[in-house]
Order: sequence, then C-alpha cells, then structure tokens
Amino acid sequence: MKQYLKNTWEGLYTVIVGMKITFKHLFTPSVTIQYPEVKIPLPERSRNRLYVNIDDCIGCDQCARACPVGCIEIETVKSVPGEDLGKTSNDKKKALWVTKFDIDIAKCCFCSLCVYPCPTECIKMTDIYEYSEFERNNLVYSFSALTKEEAGEKKLNLEKFNAEKEAAKMKQAAPEPEKKQDKNEKESE
Amino acid sequence: MFDIIFYLFAFITIGSALIVVTARNIIYSAFSLMLTLFGVSGIYALLGADFLAVVQIMVYVGGILVLILFGVMLTNKITNVEIKSGNRNIAVSLISVSVLSAILFSVLLGTNWKETNSQIPETTLFGIGELLITKYVLVFELLGILLLIALIGAATIARKEE
Amino acid sequence: MYEYLVNILFSVTGNQFLAQASVMILIAALPLFVVILPYALAAVLAERKVSAFMQDRIGPNRTGYRGLFQTLADILKLIQKEDIINSEADKKLFNISPLLVFAGSYAAFAAIPFSGMFIGTNAEVGIFFILAISSLVVAGILMGGWASNNKYSLLGAMRSAAQIISYEIPTALVILSIVMLTGTLSLNTISELQTAYFWNWNIFGGAAEGFKQFILIPFMIAGFIILYISTLAEVNRVPFDIPEAESELVSGFHTEYSGMKFAMFFLAEYANMFAVSAIIATVFFGGYQSPFGYLGNTLNFPLLIPFEQFFWFMIKGLFFVFVQMWLRWTLPRLRVDQLMTVCWKYLIPYAFINLIIIGIISLL
Ligand code: SF4
Ligand code: SF4
Repeated sequence: MKQYLKNTWEGLYTVIVGMKITFKHLFTPSVTIQYPEVKIPLPERSRNRLYVNIDDCIGCDQCARACPVGCIEIETVKSVPGEDLGKTSNDKKKALWVTKFDIDIAKCCFCSLCVYPCPTECIKMTDIYEYSEFERNNLVYSFSALTKEEAGEKKLNLEKFNAEKEAAKMKQAAPEPEKKQDKNEKESE
Repeated sequence: MFDIIFYLFAFITIGSALIVVTARNIIYSAFSLMLTLFGVSGIYALLGADFLAVVQIMVYVGGILVLILFGVMLTNKITNVEIKSGNRNIAVSLISVSVLSAILFSVLLGTNWKETNSQIPETTLFGIGELLITKYVLVFELLGILLLIALIGAATIARKEE
Repeated sequence: MYEYLVNILFSVTGNQFLAQASVMILIAALPLFVVILPYALAAVLAERKVSAFMQDRIGPNRTGYRGLFQTLADILKLIQKEDIINSEADKKLFNISPLLVFAGSYAAFAAIPFSGMFIGTNAEVGIFFILAISSLVVAGILMGGWASNNKYSLLGAMRSAAQIISYEIPTALVILSIVMLTGTLSLNTISELQTAYFWNWNIFGGAAEGFKQFILIPFMIAGFIILYISTLAEVNRVPFDIPEAESELVSGFHTEYSGMKFAMFFLAEYANMFAVSAIIATVFFGGYQSPFGYLGNTLNFPLLIPFEQFFWFMIKGLFFVFVQMWLRWTLPRLRVDQLMTVCWKYLIPYAFINLIIIGIISLL
C-alpha cells in the first residue's frame, strides 16, 4: 500500500518536474544556426576545396604524386628556350608550360597531402565548401591558365623545336662547316 | 423531415443487416453489423428514446462489436484478408427461419397497438433513472451483482496460475 | 439556435421542409468550418512550433511570415499526393476507415457547447453521447488496421482499441462523479451551472455552498487529473501513443495511408484532441463561462455575450490542447504493460474512491 501511494506520488511529481524543465526551455532562445544565411566560422586549417595558384605552379607534379586517390592530373610541356615563363613568387624559375592541371574534386578526400610537398606553396585549401553540382563532370576543376589552343600551340612549338633539334643533331652528324653556318644563322635570329 | 430520416435509418438498418447475413467475409459481416446497430440506435433516437439510443451505441458498438472484431481477428489467421463464412444446413435453417418469421408477423399483426397522442417527452433520462432506483431497484442491483461476478470470473480465468 | 435559424429561413423561403433541412445541414457543418479546420491548421503548426521551442529549435519558418502558412502548404501537398492503396489491402474497408474515424471524432462535436447559442444538440444525454460515439473511432481504427493487411497496422489497431476501451472506464467514472454533483448529463446545463465567477467552476467545488465547496476541492482536482490522463490516453497522444509509436510500429494503424486519407486521420486526431480538451474545460473549468463576468453585461450589449462565451471556450480548450502538446514533448512513451498498469491499477481505483467520496460529500 505504501509502495502504491509512493508510486502514485512519484508518477505525478516526476511529470511535473519534467514539465517544468520543458517549460523553461520554451523560453530559452534557440540554438539553431540558419545555415545558408548564417554560417559558423570555419576553424583555422580546415580543409575544403582546393585552389591552385597557377601563376606560381612550376608543374613539378609532386602534388599529383602525393595524392592518394589520384585525382590530380597534370600535363606539362617543356618550354622552348626562347620563351620566358617568368618566375614564381618565391623566385623559382618556371620551365614548364602547365598545359593541363585538373583536379577531380569529387574524388578528393581532403587529406591535404598534396599541399605539403608543393615547393612553391601554390596548391592550397580555401574556405569554400559549398560547390555541389548537378553534373559530376562539373566537379572536375581545371586550373590551367592556358586555353586548349594555346596548349596545342605550345605543344606544336615544342615539337617544332624538337624537330629542329633533331634536325640539328642530324646536321651535327653531317659536315662541320654547314653546322657552323647554321649556328650563326641561329644566333643572328 | 423526420419521415425521411426514419426511412434513411430504416434503409441503413435493413440494408446492412442483409450484408451481415450474406457477406462471405466475416469481417464484412462484423462491420455491417455495426451499421445495423447504428441504424437501430438512430431509430431509437427518432422515437424519443435518447438514453436508449446512446446505450445502444455504447454497449453494442463500443462493447460487443469490438469484442466480436477482436474475436474474429485473433482467432483467424489475422494477416489473411480472406476470412470466409459459408452456408450449411440450408433446409433446416430455412424452415426454422420461416417459422420464426411467421410467429413474428402474427404477433406484429395480431397485437393491439396502443396509440397515444401525447407529446414525445423531452428526455427519458430522468424517468429511467427514477424507475431504476425505485420500482426496479432489485433487478438493477441483481444485474449489477451479476456483472460483478462475471468480471471477477473473467479476471480469475485470465489470471496466470502461479 | 435551430428554431431561430429555421424561423429566419422559413420567413425567407416559405418552405418549411427546405428551411429545416438546410438548417440541419448548416448546423452540422458549422463546427467543422468554424472550429475544427481553422483550429487544426493552427494546432498542427503550434505543435511543431511548441516542440521546436521546447527543444531549443526554431521550427518551420520558411513558408510565409515565420512559417505561418506551413500547414496550408502541407495540406496542399497532401491533396496533390497520389492515393496509394497497397495491392493486398482490403480496398473497401481501407477506404471507409478514415471516414469512420473522422466521423467518430466529429460526432462528438455535436454535443459540445461552444457558447450558449452555438451548440449542435442540446440533448439531455450530451456527455454520455460523446463517450458512446467515440467507440466509432475504435471501430474505424480496427477497420483501418485490419484492412491494411499489415502486421504493424493490425498490431497498432489492436493496441489502440484495447487502450481506448480501457481508458474509457476512468473517464466515465470521473464524469459520473461530476454528473452526480450536477444532476445532469447535458454539457450545456453543466456549463450553465458554473456561471458567474471562476470560483463557481467545478474544479473549485462547483455550485455547492460554503463548507461543502471547500472539502470538494481536493477531490475535484484529483478527478481532473484522472480525467486528463485518461482522455490523453483515449486520443492516443504521447505518452500513451503506443498504437502509433513511430519507432516501433511505424505509426501503427495508419502506416499504409497516404495523401488525403492520411490527412483525414490526422484531422481526426487533432479534432479529438480538441474534443477531449473541450470536455475537460466544460466539466471542470466552467465551459464557455467567462471567469470574470461578461463585457456584454457591463456594456449592456447582450449580443456580445455569445461571442465572448465562444472566445472563453476556445481559450480554455486551446489551453488544454497546449498542455497536451507540452506533455508530448516532455514525456517518453509508456510500455504496453505500463500503460495497462496505469489504467487498471492506478486510475480506476483512484477514480472509484473519488467517485464514492464525492458521492458522500454531495449527500452531506
Ligand atoms: S587533398 Fe588529398 S585527395 Fe585531395 S587532391 Fe590533395 S592529395 Fe588528393
Ligand atoms: S606541387 Fe605545386 S608546383 Fe608542383 S605541380 Fe603541384 S601545384 Fe604545381
């Protein structure tokens, strides 16, 4: 009997305690962050979408090799001697045309492993994390500064140069004076 | 106005009663039984027996019908929609039914029905209440005891033996 | 109200039958359009907002100003939805069931006095009728659960029926004690007896005088608590929502329903919530009576009084609906055995004792 009354009392009492708590929460301000309008600041060193400052990239391919999922694709074309590609911001000479620098961000696992080896610190994490797309192809970001035509031109240049070099080599194997003349010609150019 | 409502209720009652008898599926029978009981209660209400009408719903729809439904659902393979009922002993039942209805009809036609012009009372509630604790108090109490016995009996049977 | 409207219509059309029929239809439809639909629109939103605020969230706030049109949008969506009937279901019963459930909960509104003027039927059996007609809901739920041909639905329907039938007993017992005090089953008369100021409400001893009133108070409060708990269980609300139990029964008897049929169940649930709140308000808290007298009386403008009464009635009813929501977001769900324990081992004995004591006091 005593237990019975105690149960009754406890039942009612605990309900009232619970109701008191919820009533208090009725007036506490909500903790919701209305995401697209309000965003919480990202922590430092957070990893999000990659960005490549292609002006600084020397095309060394280290990032692509470091990537565990292989989502970076780099193609380079050697510059021909006459071309000046300028220098990177930390004074490294660029010697390669980066004709293709694609990052398939859909595959990227944000491990940041590509960021560390970069000698010029041009591949880095940004704070952009909203970049959903309807097409998966749109998630392949192309960072190369060169257009297709330019890249083709660079390739042709190199081929021409190579061909010339080849030709020159051939000539080297041929009689001496002609080669000298050739060289002179080139210098005069 | 009231005529129309009466015929509506009568139609519901008889129509659903027919379904109760003819339906192949017991569940259909049970649910049309509910409609029948409702129709009857509506006719009670039209006749001014308000208390009786509500009691009809309370006891038959709320109690007995739900009991029937429980019974049907628990005893049959419950997830199977096809719960059939069939006809058996047609000849015997035909005879007994016709005899019964003959008796009923003879009573219906032979009774000397009293007709009064008195107004239908506003409510039968107070009259019933008074009668129950004056004239019929003994019956009332006995019924109460009977129900109590039934209740205790049910509880005893349902209890697990320890 | 009935005679009044019939007279008006009769003088306009000159056709007795037409007048009667149209007034009947009008009165039958009035609670639906004046009370239930607007209320349900507001209550569904309120439920979500209350739950959100209690959990320190914001709740729906995109549709309209601060999400005010959320329910409207939901209803539009539900109307457009495809009406799915699973192929193994019993189609006839499956389609009737939501109607039956809604009819059952709507029928209760016939006897609820919204104000002195606005009452469907002033039949003397009032509250008894409400108790009885709720069995229609049980039948409808069983029908839906069975017709869905789904284990969860059937289980939910069974539980629901068992629960509603069990909890009808304490409800009836408490109401019986009030009926003993007031000597009437009519909700309108019960409200009329609690007129004037709030200390005449039944929860404060009702119209009994002096000493008797004071000793009645604790038992009235006990009765109120019992009635509140048991009606909460009758409408299958949390913490007594095992028939619907989303997490174990995938919302029970209406698992298979979609679109408007689901909306019917939903509407019926909210109508039920208001109906039981209205009963509690009427039985214990003066019904449509104002707690401090009427503005219409002081201004000598009696036409105002029915509207004031309607206002007070809605306030009281909605308050208890709010408490139901409050409880919903406070308490966890009971287990089946706990549910039955609460009913048979606690509520019914207490209700009985309460009934006997109130009977003795009213005889004093
Ligand atoms: S972050 Fe990791 S996965 Fe993404 S591109 Fe860099 S190395 Fe590859
Ligand atoms: S490591 Fe840096 S410099 Fe080298 S290819 Fe990648 S981005 Fe360019």
